[in-house]
Amino acid sequence: MDVLDKYKKAWVNQPEDNRQLSSKEIYKLAHSSSSSLVKWIFIIGILEFIFWGVINFLVPDSFYKVYKDLNLETFLQIFKVFHYIILIAFLYLFYQNYTNISLVDNTKKLIKKILKVRKTVNYYVYYNLAIIVLVSFVFNAKIFSNPEKHLDIINPDNLAMDLSQIVTISIISQIIAVIVILVLFWLFYKLIYGIFLRKLNKNYKELSKLDESN
Amino acid sequence: MQKDLEEKFLSDIEKNQNIAHKICRVYTTNQNAHNDLFQEITIQLWKNYPKFRGDSKFSTWMYRVALNTAISLYRKSTRRVKTQDISDVAYKISSTPYDDTEEAQLKALYKAIHKLNDIDKALIFLYLEDKPYKEISQALGITSVNARVKMNRAKEKLKNILNP
Repeated sequence: MDVLDKYKKAWVNQPEDNRQLSSKEIYKLAHSSSSSLVKWIFIIGILEFIFWGVINFLVPDSFYKVYKDLNLETFLQIFKVFHYIILIAFLYLFYQNYTNISLVDNTKKLIKKILKVRKTVNYYVYYNLAIIVLVSFVFNAKIFSNPEKHLDIINPDNLAMDLSQIVTISIISQIIAVIVILVLFWLFYKLIYGIFLRKLNKNYKELSKLDESN
Repeated sequence: MQKDLEEKFLSDIEKNQNIAHKICRVYTTNQNAHNDLFQEITIQLWKNYPKFRGDSKFSTWMYRVALNTAISLYRKSTRRVKTQDISDVAYKISSTPYDDTEEAQLKALYKAIHKLNDIDKALIFLYLEDKPYKEISQALGITSVNARVKMNRAKEKLKNILNP
């Protein structure tokens, strides 16, 4: 270690940094607003909860009329109650995991706890995506179990087409909608992971690697 | 009560601020980023100060919080202001007479450390600060044995950068 010894000596002898702050300046800094990764992860998580929470209110009334026509109203009501219970449970977990974060923990534990906050939101998003798939499945199953009866739902503009054409168009348009939604989500998460989580994931991987070998 | 706590905090930080400055110098390469990280460290220290019970030394606690902030909380600023390299300005008005050779070595050392990953930076920083393996392993959350092995590897990496 001789090579490093001389550098270490230079390190030990390094003079105080010339940017010494007075207690008044430190006071100002300590009371300024944080821009930490954790804060951003928390804010984005809250925004996602709000997004998925209000998305139900953005659905036009005509959409619910379809459920009425399909006799799925009770299903929808029960589902909504269940959905809000799940939302509250997720919010509780999210907040609890967030308050569990402590800077006094060791680095590995700290990063794990931060990533856990993010994971809670991810699970909530997966849950919502799964629900969309489930609801669409129920919806489609109901319609296509008797397409002639529900013709006006899948062909609201009364286009002059035969039934098989209408069914094909309906399925293709649903598939395209799903692909568009998934691509948008993929881009959104790519952005979040790229901006806010790359560093944490990288450092956590590095720390885990330190404990793997030997 | 709050006022007493605040006064104690300010005096503790003022006395130990060099720890934070050194960590900022290890993890950032320009003046703006240094200031940003220093600010974030101060915020986190203040936020966590009421929980500091004094069962460890203040400086030990500060090392932990400041390093954790640099490794896990600090996001490089997106501001791309053209700034002078820190090593050129940091000691310009230093009052302490300083050996030229050591100054050059210190600059080379910081430059080499900047090429390491965040975790190796922490290992090397704690080595340079003469921290025992037990403290290093506790700070990072790895075993003492691993801390020793990985420290040797990080030192090797650093040596290779310094003397390619």
